[in-house]
Amino acid sequence: MAGQQHNGMQCNEFDALLSQAIDGTLSGERLQAFEAHGRVCGVCGPLLQEAEAGHSWLKALEQVEPPAHLVTNILLATSGVAPGRAGARATWGERIGRWIDAVVSPVVAVARQPRFAMSFGMAFFTLSVTLSIAGVRLSDVRLLDLRPSAIRRSYYETSGRVVKYYDNIRFVHEMESQVRQFKQATPAPERPETQENKRKENNKNNSSGQPEQRQERNYSQEGNQPVLASLPTNGDPQRAILLHAGVVDSPVVHGATYRRFV
Amino acid sequence: MEDAQVAALLVRRCVAGDAAAWEEIVQQYNRRIYNICYRFTGSGNDAEDLTQEVFIKIYRTLNSYDMNRGAFMTWVTTVTRNLLVDHFRKARQERLTDSLDTTTSDHEDAMPLSDRIPDEAPPPDSKVQSRETREVVHQALQKLSPELREAVILRDLQDMDYRDIAVTLKVPEGTVKSRINRGRAELARLLQRTYRQVM
Repeated sequence: MAGQQHNGMQCNEFDALLSQAIDGTLSGERLQAFEAHGRVCGVCGPLLQEAEAGHSWLKALEQVEPPAHLVTNILLATSGVAPGRAGARATWGERIGRWIDAVVSPVVAVARQPRFAMSFGMAFFTLSVTLSIAGVRLSDVRLLDLRPSAIRRSYYETSGRVVKYYDNIRFVHEMESQVRQFKQATPAPERPETQENKRKENNKNNSSGQPEQRQERNYSQEGNQPVLASLPTNGDPQRAILLHAGVVDSPVVHGATYRRFV
Repeated sequence: MEDAQVAALLVRRCVAGDAAAWEEIVQQYNRRIYNICYRFTGSGNDAEDLTQEVFIKIYRTLNSYDMNRGAFMTWVTTVTRNLLVDHFRKARQERLTDSLDTTTSDHEDAMPLSDRIPDEAPPPDSKVQSRETREVVHQALQKLSPELREAVILRDLQDMDYRDIAVTLKVPEGTVKSRINRGRAELARLLQRTYRQVM
């Protein structure tokens, strides 16, 4: 086919011009040479007829209409926005409403069942009775201040209280620790109550029948100060005179006093 | 403003997150893509699924479209064609797996279409207007090889010019013309045999 030539045109040239000829864009001498080659060539002539026929058949096919739901499915599968809703932005109220519906609807559907409805009713009754007995009235509850500035202030106040409480606790623990260490470093003196108890215990064990010795000591005297003992005169006036005149030495008794530590 | 500029503006708005622009693109191109898929696959259900896949692919890769490299319509058609090729390969593999003794072949030298097209189709009138005739032509189109089929669909059914078809099919323009001529001639031969037998 490619090597044959009829009327000054080879078959490959005919094939290259075939599309233009069918489209109607071929004109002039080239069109005449094309048509002449088609009339003579036993290969290209039928090819031209078949191509024209096929073109006609294909042009008979009309555009088909896609299913009506196709656009909706495409939009839902891609952007997730239904047709006609893309231009209109949802308001905050609508968004919140949709969110509440999504959350509340399943709960409401469950609550509509008789057994759950009875349970919810009992729970509400119990709660209301409990609040009434406790003296809580809903009208007393202040509305929470949910402004951002109020929330921020509450946050700082709370965090400040926590830090202060923590510092106080730490100070107390440190002081307790130091006192504990000081006590461990210093030996503790014997307590007076303990000495008294020991003395009472000794008295209890004393079976001599003597009266209890009283400590009638002169706490103003020095420890080595002599104590004059009395000399019994036995009714002798002369001996009493001599003692008073200093002729006769009075007996001296050395004793030690012990200071009592209290 | 030209169509290419309008399309480029739509794409920019869509990439910027404008859902209305995307809806406009879908509204504007869904019919064209559906028809290409329908004529290539021959099945309305497959065409619907493939059209959705094409738009999902476009939606995901829209930011990769460069208007300096071609018109948006050509880019959309290229995406469609690539998915059709994938679908054809997958379907052919399934056919080979399902039935090894089938006589169906997509090659041009396969069994004549007159042996496979139902004979109950009525003869065409001079202008090929009847619905039955269009159905026969549609069935005959499915018997062309995929290379010839896609070429004649893009040229005769979608009225694309040869250069855009060459870009879409990634072949030279001369090859496009040759395929179109061979496709038209093959289709005519198939239909002539069919109606000759019927008559």
